[in-house]
Amino acid sequence: MKLVTAIIKPFKLDDVKAALETLGVVGLTVSEVRGYGRQKGHTEVYRGAEYTVDLVPKVRVEVLTDDLDADKVVDTITESARTGKIGDGKVWVVPVETVVRVRTGERGADAL
Amino acid sequence: MSEHRRRPQGAEERSEPGGEQSDAVSRGGGRAGPAAALRAARAELVGPGGPVGAGLRDALTALYDRWLADRLSGVDDVALVAVGSLGRREPAPYSDLDLVLLHRGRRDVAAVADALWYPVWDAGTGLDHSVRTVAEAVAVARADLKAALGMLDLRHLAGDRALTGLLRESVLAGWRADAARRLPELREATRARWEAQGELGFLVEPDVKECRGGLRDVHVLRALAAAQVVDPPGSGVVAARDVLLDVRGELQRRAGRALDRFVQQEQDSVAATLGHGDADGVLQAVSEAGRMVSYASDATWRRVAAELDSRRRRWLPGRRPAVGVRRPLAEGVVEQDGEVVLARDADPWTDPVLVLRAATAAARAGLPLAPHAVDRLATESAALPSPWPAAARDAFVDLLGAGRRAVPVLEALDRSGLLVALLPEWAPVRSRPQRNPVHRFTVDRHLVETAANAAALTRTVARPDLLLLGALLHDIGKGHPGDHTDAGVRVVRGLAPRLGLSYGDSATLVAMVRHHLLLPDTATRRDLGDPVTIRTVTEAVDGSRDLLDLLHGLSIADGLATGPAAWTDWKAGLVADLVQRAASVLAGAPPPVSPPPTPEQRALADAGTLAVRVEGETVTVAAPDAPGLLSKTAGVLALHQLDVRSATITTIGAMAVNVFAVSPRFGRGPDPAVLRADVARALAGTLALGERLAAKERAYRTPSGAAAPRVTWLDAAATAATVLELRAADSMGLLHRVTAVLERCGLAVQSALVSTLGGAVVDAFYLVGPDGSPVTDPGLRARVEQAVVDAV
Repeated sequence: MKLVTAIIKPFKLDDVKAALETLGVVGLTVSEVRGYGRQKGHTEVYRGAEYTVDLVPKVRVEVLTDDLDADKVVDTITESARTGKIGDGKVWVVPVETVVRVRTGERGADAL
Repeated sequence: MSEHRRRPQGAEERSEPGGEQSDAVSRGGGRAGPAAALRAARAELVGPGGPVGAGLRDALTALYDRWLADRLSGVDDVALVAVGSLGRREPAPYSDLDLVLLHRGRRDVAAVADALWYPVWDAGTGLDHSVRTVAEAVAVARADLKAALGMLDLRHLAGDRALTGLLRESVLAGWRADAARRLPELREATRARWEAQGELGFLVEPDVKECRGGLRDVHVLRALAAAQVVDPPGSGVVAARDVLLDVRGELQRRAGRALDRFVQQEQDSVAATLGHGDADGVLQAVSEAGRMVSYASDATWRRVAAELDSRRRRWLPGRRPAVGVRRPLAEGVVEQDGEVVLARDADPWTDPVLVLRAATAAARAGLPLAPHAVDRLATESAALPSPWPAAARDAFVDLLGAGRRAVPVLEALDRSGLLVALLPEWAPVRSRPQRNPVHRFTVDRHLVETAANAAALTRTVARPDLLLLGALLHDIGKGHPGDHTDAGVRVVRGLAPRLGLSYGDSATLVAMVRHHLLLPDTATRRDLGDPVTIRTVTEAVDGSRDLLDLLHGLSIADGLATGPAAWTDWKAGLVADLVQRAASVLAGAPPPVSPPPTPEQRALADAGTLAVRVEGETVTVAAPDAPGLLSKTAGVLALHQLDVRSATITTIGAMAVNVFAVSPRFGRGPDPAVLRADVARALAGTLALGERLAAKERAYRTPSGAAAPRVTWLDAAATAATVLELRAADSMGLLHRVTAVLERCGLAVQSALVSTLGGAVVDAFYLVGPDGSPVTDPGLRARVEQAVVDAV
C-alpha cells in the first residue's frame, strides 16, 4: 500500500478531485498548509526585497492507494494540478505498513 | 519521490553535455535548450578536473554573464543587473544567482521576466530575483539593509547601461547620505550574526560565510568603504578573502550542493586539492584568514565609530571635536583618539623593548594598538637580544598580567607577526586546531586565554611571573609531533634561558610544563585518601610548596580556558582537596588515610537491609555484601541516566556501603523510591538489566570510529591495592559491564574513579585479588585485561 501526498495550488483542488474521481479513487484527505519551494514564494514579477522567503498558502492532498495504482494516481494529480507556472507543487509516495478501517476493523487492502 | 511516467509540459528537452557546450550555451540553440545547456556547462566546470580557486570563480562568472546576456538579447528598455556573489564576480559552484531586472515601466515586463527566470529555474540553479523600476529598487535599498548591501555590489550584465548607471549612482548616494543611520544598524546586525554563528578562527566546522571573520564580514568592510567613512580593505583582508572563497568553492564542489559549513568529512579532500596538506593544514589556513578578517573588522568599526562621532560633533554649535590630543602612557607610547600609538620620537629600531612597552600600555589602558603603530613596530623593530633584558621580560609579564585586556593586544601582535618575532616557538601553535569537543579554541588562543585566567590568580602564588609564563607556555608542545608534554618540556628548556630566567626559574617553568596535568588527572583518577596518591604529587613537585601552588593556579586557569566540560565545580573541589592534602604533607603532617565509615554509614550497615539514600549528587546504597552488588548497582544508576564519577566501597561486617558521586546525564536528579525499587529488583535478579541497558544504548548509540580501549596496570599507585586504568570511549553502562567482569574474575573493587572528557573515559579501579592482596599474577592480569576489553 502507498500514501500519495501532493502539495498543490489551492485553486487547482477541484480539478484534482474531479480527475481522481474519474480514476476511481474513492477517498482522500485535504489540509490547508503553507510553504515554499526554491522560488522562495516569489512570483515572476517580484518587487520586494530579495533574500526574503515568503510562505505561500497551498493545499495538501493525501490518497491511500494500492501499490499497483500509485503511479496512476501520481500521474493524474500531476496532470490535473499543473498550470506551468512556478508554485505548482510536488507529489511524492511513501510506503504504508498498515491500514485499518475504524468502523469495521478491516485491514490492509480491504481497508482502502 | 516517485518517477513521473510522463514528462511535465513546458520542461525543456535535456541533452547530455557535449563538446561544443560553450557555443550551445551562447546560442541557446542546437539540440540543447538554454536550461539544459547551462546545466551541462556548469556541470563540466564543477566536475572533477574542472578549474580550481579563482579560475573556477572566473569561469563560472563568464558562463553566467554570457548565458544571461543571451537570454536578454534584443530586448530594449530594460537592464539585467547582478548583485550578491555574481555581482562581485565570486560565485560558488552552487551559489544562488542574485538578479534584478530593471525597467522603465514596460507593460509586458512579466513576459520578459518569465523568459529570464524560467530557464534559470529549469537549470536547477537557485535564484533570488526581483523586477523593479530604479525608483522601486532605491526604495527597497532604503528600507531593507540586506538588499542595500547586495545592491552596493551591483554589476551590469545586459540591456540598457543607463538604467544600471542610474541605479548605481542612486544607491551609492543614498548609502553615503544615510551613513549615520545605516551604519549603526549594520553594526547591530553584524554583532547579532557574530553572536549566533561564532568565530571562524576557532571552530572546527566553521561557516566560512556567516561566522565572525568570514566572507560576510569582508562584504561588510567593502560596504563601509563604499560609505566613504573608511578606506577599502587592505591586501591582508583580500588575501584572507581569497583563501575563504577557494575553500568554499572546493567544499561545494565536493558536497555537490550549496554548503558553507566546512564539515570535517570534506576537510582532507579540500586540503589536498588546494595544496594545504591535510585537514589540520587547511583548517589552520582558514583560521588564519578568519582572524585576519576579524582583526580588520574590529579596527575598521572603531574608525567608523570615530568618524561618525566626528561628523556629528561638527554640527554641534559652539563645539569643535578634540582632534589629535596625545596622552602619554609609557616611554615612547601615547594615547591618541582612543588608540595607542608611538610617540613622535620613538624609534623601534634602537629601542627593541618598545613593542612590549606599547603592548603593555595598551593592555593596561584597555585600549587597542593603532593599526599603523602595529605596522610600524612590525616593520622597524629590531630583534631583542638573547637573553632578554630584564626590562623586556618585566614588560612581557606585565602584559600577561593585564588579564582579559591582554587578549586583543596579543591578537594584534600575532596578526602582524610580532609575536612570532618575539617567540619563534609560537609559530607551530598559531591557529592550530584542536580536534577535541572539549576545547573551545585553537592552541594559541587557548594559551592566551589560560594566561588571561591566570592573571586573576596571581595573588595565590609566590611567583606570579612564573604562573603567567607557565600559563602561556604550558601547551606550547602541541605544535610538535609526539606527546605534547614531552615536546613542551624540550621547547621550554630552550626558551626559558632566552627569556632571561635564572637557572632555578627555568627549571620551575619546565616543571610546570611537565606536570601541568598532574593535579587534575590525579584528583579525578586516584583515591585521595591513599597515601600513595599524595606521595605521587609531593614527589613530582620535589617537595616544593611554591611549585604545588603554581600547578594549582595553572590547573584552574587551564581548565577554565578549555571549556565548561573540562572544569566543573566537582573537579575544582577534587583538585583543591588534593592540593590541601599534599600541602599538609609538605608541611610535615602525616599522610592522610582513608576516613573511617561515617555514623550515617554505620547506621545503614547496622540496619542490615537494603537502603538507598540520595543527597544532592551522592547516592548511597547499603546492602548485604554479595558478588555483583557493585556492578548491578552501577547498572541501575546507568538505567536512570546517572553518570558515575566515583564509587567507594566500604565493608562493615556483612554489609557493603557503596557511595556513588553521580551527575544526571540530562539534568534530572534520581527519584530515590524508584531507584531503590530498581536496585532491589536488580539484586533479586528480576530486572532484565542487561537487556534494558542494551536497548538504551541502541537509542543513544554514539558514532563508531573510536580508538581501541587500553588497559594499564599501575603497581605503585596505591597502598594495598593494584590500580587498573581503562581508557575507552564513553558508553552507557560501561561501568556496569566492566565491574561485572572484574567481579566474575574474582577481584574485589575497593573504589572506582571515572573521568569523562569529550566522549572518552579514563576509569581507575583500585583492585585486590581473592586473597585481599594486590593483583600481581601475570596470568590473572592477562585474563582480566582481555575480559575488560571484550566488555567494552
